[in-house]
Amino acid sequence: MTEANDMHPPQWPRKLLRRLLKDEYLEEIEGDMEEIFLDNVEQFSLRKAKHMYVWEMLKLLRPILLKNFKSSPTFNTSAMYKNYFKVAYRNLIKKKAYSFINIYGLALGIACCVLIFMFVRDEMSYDNYHEKGDRIYRLIHGELAADGSTPYPFWVWNNAPVGPALKDDFPEIDKVVQFSGRSDILLTYGDKIYQEDGVFFMDSTVFDVFSWKLLKGNPKTALAAPYSIVLTETTARKYFGNEDPIGKTLKGSESAGRSNAGDYTVTGVMEDVPLNSHFRFNVLLSLNTFRKSIPQVFSEWGYVDFYTYFLVNDKFDEAAFNQKIPAFTARHIKDPNWRYTIKIEPLKDMYLRTTADRQPGETGSLPNIYVFSIIGVFILVIAIINFMNLATARSLERGKEVGIRKSIGAYRSSLISQFLGESFLIVFLSSVLAFLIVFFALPYMKDFTGKELNIQNFITWQSISTFLLLLFFIGFLSGSYPALVLSGFNPVLILKGVSRSTGNGATLRKGLVVFQFSLSIALIAGTIIVYHQMNHILDKDLGFDREQMLVLDYNYDNVVNAKSEVLKAELEKNPQVVSVAFSRSVPGSYYPHAGTEIETPDGELKMMGQPIFQVGLDFVKHFSLHLIAGRAYSREYPSDSSKALIINEAAAQQYGYTNPADIVGKKFRQWGREGVVIGVVKNFNFTSLHQNIEPLTLPFEAYASRYATVKLKPGNISETIRNIGEVWKSIVPHRPFLYSFLDDDFNRQYKSDFMFRRLFTTFSCLAIFIACLGLLGLATYTAQLRTKEIGIRKVLGADVKQIVGLLSADFIKLVVIAIVIATPISWYAMNKWLEGFAYRMDIQPWVFILAGCVALFIAAFTISFQSLKSALMNPVSSLKSE
Amino acid sequence: MKKTKLGEFEELVLLTVAALQQEAYGVEIKRELETRLKEKLSVGSIQSALKRMEEKGFLTSEFGEATQRRGGKRKRIYKTTSYAHKVLREMKEIRAGLWESIPKLAHELKVI
Repeated sequence: MTEANDMHPPQWPRKLLRRLLKDEYLEEIEGDMEEIFLDNVEQFSLRKAKHMYVWEMLKLLRPILLKNFKSSPTFNTSAMYKNYFKVAYRNLIKKKAYSFINIYGLALGIACCVLIFMFVRDEMSYDNYHEKGDRIYRLIHGELAADGSTPYPFWVWNNAPVGPALKDDFPEIDKVVQFSGRSDILLTYGDKIYQEDGVFFMDSTVFDVFSWKLLKGNPKTALAAPYSIVLTETTARKYFGNEDPIGKTLKGSESAGRSNAGDYTVTGVMEDVPLNSHFRFNVLLSLNTFRKSIPQVFSEWGYVDFYTYFLVNDKFDEAAFNQKIPAFTARHIKDPNWRYTIKIEPLKDMYLRTTADRQPGETGSLPNIYVFSIIGVFILVIAIINFMNLATARSLERGKEVGIRKSIGAYRSSLISQFLGESFLIVFLSSVLAFLIVFFALPYMKDFTGKELNIQNFITWQSISTFLLLLFFIGFLSGSYPALVLSGFNPVLILKGVSRSTGNGATLRKGLVVFQFSLSIALIAGTIIVYHQMNHILDKDLGFDREQMLVLDYNYDNVVNAKSEVLKAELEKNPQVVSVAFSRSVPGSYYPHAGTEIETPDGELKMMGQPIFQVGLDFVKHFSLHLIAGRAYSREYPSDSSKALIINEAAAQQYGYTNPADIVGKKFRQWGREGVVIGVVKNFNFTSLHQNIEPLTLPFEAYASRYATVKLKPGNISETIRNIGEVWKSIVPHRPFLYSFLDDDFNRQYKSDFMFRRLFTTFSCLAIFIACLGLLGLATYTAQLRTKEIGIRKVLGADVKQIVGLLSADFIKLVVIAIVIATPISWYAMNKWLEGFAYRMDIQPWVFILAGCVALFIAAFTISFQSLKSALMNPVSSLKSE
Repeated sequence: MKKTKLGEFEELVLLTVAALQQEAYGVEIKRELETRLKEKLSVGSIQSALKRMEEKGFLTSEFGEATQRRGGKRKRIYKTTSYAHKVLREMKEIRAGLWESIPKLAHELKVI
C-alpha cells in the first residue's frame, strides 16, 4: 500500500509545471513525464527516479513550452491606463493633506540628497582638472624614530635642495616645481596699494606641471627672471583695469625672509585658480627673486620654506621609488643624527586624504563627507518611509477599488503596475518640486559650506542618469510594498468588508515609525552634542586674554618695527587703549618651530624642537599670561633682550622638570643666542583646541615682529578703532591699516567645525520635520479609523483627556522605543567625532534625555492637533451615519 | 531550402517520427533516439523540437489513447507532413551530393 502511494512522482515539480507550461501541452507532457518516471523506477531506484523527474522537469522550462505571460494583445489597454491616471489624480485631489505630506516630504528628502550629492561631488572634484594629474606627486617630509617608525607628523613644507637632488637622482622624474610658503607682499601701482596675501614664489616649471592656463605671456619664461610677476585675471584687473598689464612694473615691498623690496615686471596673466584647487593664489613671483635675495637657503637642507611637487614619466613606479628613498636621503644628509625622510603623495590624495601638516592651502575632511552622505541617505529614507506608511495606511480605503477591479477581471500584475505607477507619479511631482527647492537653496549653500556650488557643473549625463536612477529606485521602493499588499487582497473578503478589521501592515507601520524616529533622535542628540562641544571650545578659558584685542597686521615691516616704541607710546595715550604689544605671532596665527638647547636636570645641554613665539617686551602682561615661576621680561634687565628666555609649562616638562620653578636659571642656547631661562608661564592654548598644548618658547625679539595687538577697554569700539587708525596713518603712512579681532582670528580655526555645525543642525531639523509630517499623516488616519469608537466612548462618558491619551499613547510608545534604539547609536557616532578634539566634553546622559524629550514633545505636539480634534468632535455627528 | 531552417537535432527527431509511424509519441521518440544516438536526452529537448517543428509545419499531431502507466493522460501522436518529406528528401540529396564530391577533393588535396 505504501509502495503504491510512493510510486507517484514528487508533487511540487508537477504543480510548478502546471503553473508555467502552456495549458495545451500540459496533458501530453505530464503523461510523458509520468511514463518515463515509471520506466526509471523499474530500471533504477525510486529515489533516483524522483531525482531524475525533478531534473527533467527543470529542463522543460524552455520559452517555447512556457505560458505567454504578456497580456493578450486583443485587449485594449489605453482606456485602462486613462482610468489609472484619472483615479490617481482624484486620489491626489481628494486627500490634499496626504498628498501634500507625501509630495512635500519626498521633495525635501530628494532636495537634501541632491544638495549633499552636489557638495560631495564638489569635494571629490578637487584638482581633477589637471591634465597630467595622475602623474603629479609631491613630497612630504618627516623624521624617523630610532626604530625606523614615523611617530611624528609629516610636513608638506620643507627644504629647497631636495628638489634639484630629486631631479638629478631619478630619471623617472620629468619636472620638479618648487614654491615658497604662502607670503604676503605690499604691491603698489600708481595710487593703488594693496596687501596681497595669496602670494607664492614659484618655479618657472609651474605651467609644465599644472594645467593653469596663461592668458598672456610665455609659460616657459614667465617666471624665469628674478623680479617677474604673474597675476591672476582678477588681480590684474584690480591694478590695471582694462590696460594691458604685460611689461608694466609693480613696486613690491620686502617679503620678510624671502625677498628684498624691488620693482616687479608683469610677465604673465593667468586664469584665476579654480575654486576646487587644494591651494589657490592671486599672485606668483618668480622663485629666482627669492634665490637672488637669499641664495644661501637654497642649499641648506635644514631651512624650511618650500613645497616640492613633481611630474613623473611612464617609467615611474611608486613602490620602486619608495624603496630608493632611504638610499637617497643617506646620500644627501651628512649628519648621522638627523633621520630625515620623505614620502610622496599623489595629487588625488592632496585635498581629502592627506595626513601631513603645514599645507599650502585648505584641506577637506573625508569624515565630514561620510557624515553628510549618511545624513542625506537618512533623510531620504525617512521621506520614503513616510510615503510607504501613508500608502499602506490608506490601502484599506483603496481596498474596495481593488476588490471591484479584481472582480471585473484585473490581473494582479496590472494592479501592481497601477500602484507602482501612482508612486512614480508622486515621485515625479516631488522631484519637480525638489528641483525648485535646490534651485532656490543653492545661493544659501554658499554661506553654509563656504563654497560656491554651481548647478551647471552638475548637469552632466552621469549625474542626470544617476538622478533618474535614484528617482526610479525611490518610486520602486516606496511603491512596492503598498502595491504588493493591495494587489494581494481577496476581492470576496474586501467587498464583504472583512479586511477593515484586520490590522493589515500595522506592525510594519509601527516598525517604520520607530525607525524614522530613531534616526531623527540620533540626529537631534548629535546636534546637541555638536553645539555643546562648540560652546565648550568657544567658552573655554584659553589661558590668555582674547577679548577686546585688536590685531594690527603690518607683515614684518621694518619701518613699523623701528617705530614700534613711538607707536606704542602714542597709542597708549588713548584712554580707551589698555596696552599695546608687538610680537611675531599671536595665538591662532602662524608660528615657526625652533631647535632649542636647555640644560636638563642632569646638567647637560639637550637639543629639542618646539614652536616659537618671538615676542616684544610686554607680551606676558599684555595677554595676561600667568607666570608660575621666575619673572617676565623687564626694562630693568637690559640683558633680557638677548640673554633671557621665557618658556611655557609644557616646555619645562619637555626638558624633564616636573617642578617648573627648577628650570628657572638654567642655561639655554637658541638660534645663536645664549643665556638663562628666566620665567615659566602657565600653559595657554596658542592653537585650536583640536590640539593639545605643545611646548613653546617665547624669546624676546621685538624686531622680528609682525603684529601689533591693542587691548581695548569695553565700549565705543568703532570710535577707538578710528582713532587708532589716525595715529597709525600719522606715524607709518606707507603701511595700510589692517586690523582684525583676536577672538575672530582665533575662532577662524574652527571654520570647518562651524560649517559642520550649521549643516548638521539644518539637516537634523529637516529630518525631524519630515518625520513629523509622516507622523501627522498617520495620526490623522488612525483617528479617522477610530471615529466611531471615539463617538461611542464619548457617549459612554469618556472625557477629552482620556480620548487624547488613548490616541496619543500608541505613538508615544513608539517614540520611546525609538529613544532606546537611538541612544547607543548616536553615542557611538558622536564619540568618534569628539575624538578629533584634544579638548572635548564628556557625553552626558542628559543629552539623550533632552533629545528624547524634544522628539517626544514634537511628536506629542504633532499628534495633539488631530487627537484634540477627534476628541472634541460631537459624538452625534460621528455616530449618526452608517 | 533557406526557409525551412531545419536544425540538426530537429532533423533527427523528424526522421524518428517518420520511422515510428503510429508509435510516434513523446516517450517512444525519446527512447528510439536514445538507443540510436547512445546518449541520454531530456524530455524538454525532444518536446521543444516537436513543438517548433509543428509550428513550422513539418508535423501534425492528435491525441492518442490514455494508459494507466501515463496516469490516465492521453498520448499525442505525431505525423510527418508531405512538406516534411519533401524537405527531408532534399536534405538527403544535398548531403549525398556532398559525399560524392569528398573523395575527389581529398585526392586533390593530397596532390597539393
